[in-house]
Amino acid sequence: MSKKKTKIKLELSRRDFLIVGGTAAGSVVAAQLLTTGPLSPFASFKQEQVEGIEEATQHASGHRWGMVINLDKCIGCEYCLRACSATNDVWVDPELKRPEKPWNIVVEDKTSIGTPFFFSRPCLHCGDAPCVEVCPVQATYHREDGLVVMNYGRCIGCRYCEIACPYDARKFNWQARTDINPYIPTWGIAEVDRRPRGVVEKCTFCIHRIDAGLKGGFTPGEDREATPACVNVCPVGARVFGDLNDPDSMVSQAVTTETTIRLREELGTEPSVYYVIPKEGI
Amino acid sequence: MATRTLGERKLFSFSPALLAWLGLLGLCIVIGLVSAFQVFWNGLYITNMSDSVPWGLWITIDLSSIALGAGAFTLSAVVYLFGLKRFQSIIRLAVFVGFIGYTSALLTLIMDIGRPDRFWHPWVYWNIHSVLWEVTMCITIYLAIMLVEFAPVIAESRFFNRYNWIRTAAKYLHKAAPVLALLGLAISLLHQSSLGATYGIVKSRPIWFKPSMPIMFILSAVAVGPSLTMAIAYVVEWVTGKKSIPNEILRAIARFSGFGIMVYGYIRFWDLAAVTYYGRTPSVSESFNLLNQQTPYNFSFWVFEIILGVVLPAILFLTPRFNRNPGYLVIGTIFAMIGILINRWNVTVGGLFVPLSYSPGTLYQLAPGKYFPGLPEWGVAVGIIGYALTMLTLGVRYLPLFGNEEHS
Repeated sequence: MSKKKTKIKLELSRRDFLIVGGTAAGSVVAAQLLTTGPLSPFASFKQEQVEGIEEATQHASGHRWGMVINLDKCIGCEYCLRACSATNDVWVDPELKRPEKPWNIVVEDKTSIGTPFFFSRPCLHCGDAPCVEVCPVQATYHREDGLVVMNYGRCIGCRYCEIACPYDARKFNWQARTDINPYIPTWGIAEVDRRPRGVVEKCTFCIHRIDAGLKGGFTPGEDREATPACVNVCPVGARVFGDLNDPDSMVSQAVTTETTIRLREELGTEPSVYYVIPKEGI
Repeated sequence: MATRTLGERKLFSFSPALLAWLGLLGLCIVIGLVSAFQVFWNGLYITNMSDSVPWGLWITIDLSSIALGAGAFTLSAVVYLFGLKRFQSIIRLAVFVGFIGYTSALLTLIMDIGRPDRFWHPWVYWNIHSVLWEVTMCITIYLAIMLVEFAPVIAESRFFNRYNWIRTAAKYLHKAAPVLALLGLAISLLHQSSLGATYGIVKSRPIWFKPSMPIMFILSAVAVGPSLTMAIAYVVEWVTGKKSIPNEILRAIARFSGFGIMVYGYIRFWDLAAVTYYGRTPSVSESFNLLNQQTPYNFSFWVFEIILGVVLPAILFLTPRFNRNPGYLVIGTIFAMIGILINRWNVTVGGLFVPLSYSPGTLYQLAPGKYFPGLPEWGVAVGIIGYALTMLTLGVRYLPLFGNEEHS
């Protein structure tokens, strides 16, 4: 059998050799340049990923608003839910045709050893927000101070952000609002306009208060005028708000001194809301 | 030429059967228009979608009709890029079917978005990081490409007898067909797969988040799209009684689809094996457990997606015993279409049924989604089907979809 095998003769002229060799060498150099060299798109990409959050906050207005929610202190009174729904005039479905949730939810939860606690959730204002990434028209975007906000005038109502949000923090306006808000005026008065039919909305960290407060010389988180309604109303002080970039602010202090977690950290969304876990652990 | 004009004139007579068909289509469109008016007037509140299941039947229709329109770019590429000129005779029909598919999708999308008056926003306010933006841009650009590709055919219709300059212009346009086919291929490949990526990149939902999503979407589209064109060619042949496209061409398309479906089935198999068996994660297992408990997911997956959508069409399209008979090919196409439809439904609605879990503790979890399309949603769906069939009927009657001799 082996004797029958035809010999394959390899004829390599100098020209062929140079072409093959040159291509190989060129490829190696190009690959090197593209992976690690200055031309590499991946290098800058990696750099951005590593420095993403710091960078975003450094060149910004200097602020990065954040919240600390103390699960150990929360008594589940739902005051934050009500104050939020009144201040931002959030629709609550009276017939509960759908599982309509407010911007700020309060629910019962249990630790792994069975101790009950209360868990509440505003929008987490992620540093790397999936909703911002997927919006086809940039109707939801990062402000310079890290807040994830909505441009109601631009939203087309495709609801992709609602699907992409890992924390279920977004709501769609399924119909034009004609309802009477049951939380007004007991829990506050509406400080913002109702959103039109067909756009998505979510918690804003009471952006109108922050902006007006800063102009008036107040400090959000310290002065009530510039602080979100849910933080102001909390009877046990379970919510702390402030500037995460300012090491002396109450939130920064809470983040450094307490044991905190962030929700679904494995997704890399970098939420601006930290949770102080119950004493027994989660 | 004289005989052709005669033949065309003969087409204008209305038989009772045709009148009944047109009446049925008219009824569908009226149902669609009434439902669409209801939705525009009252808002999406009257649909059964909710904040936990924000996408439903309409998105399923979008995805399916775009996938079924994939015959246009696949067959164009076959002819203009790979140079298989014998398929030239089906190009016009393929592009026409693709055009109907894409316009149906856009019509449904207009219904589905909360602010139809802002449909143009993606073209003005770009978010290049968004898959959905890329999809929107590609679909609209590709629709334009298809229009240009199809312009010569429209210009050939009798209406343009008076405007000869349009025909001349269209003929020059037709010279660009290979370039358009290449451009169309690139753009179609992009958006057919990024429709899958729309789900595949959503990291918050474990059963969507996988790189196989775009690949499965594009493979199923490339496989089933051409077979729809093939089936329509047969049906048109039966209805009009005219043999316009040779049988061996249609059989070749069926075989191509059969192979495509097998490749899709293979990827599907490995996706299933990797996601639910070899590389399963607790969150994925939990999600599938919940789907199987709450919905007939398992049944619809195996029966509709795999047996009806992959196994049967592959057998009907590939074995000589069946693929010699056009009837089996049409039946196979219907099976494959059902497979695509149920697949897109299972991906969209199934994925949304599974609740998000983000709470720090162990107790709180959102309730599983509840969704079944409401009357207005079905109404719009009927209207869209009516629109597609009306376009097809009109096209077959009034456009020279099968006569391409003067160009080749």
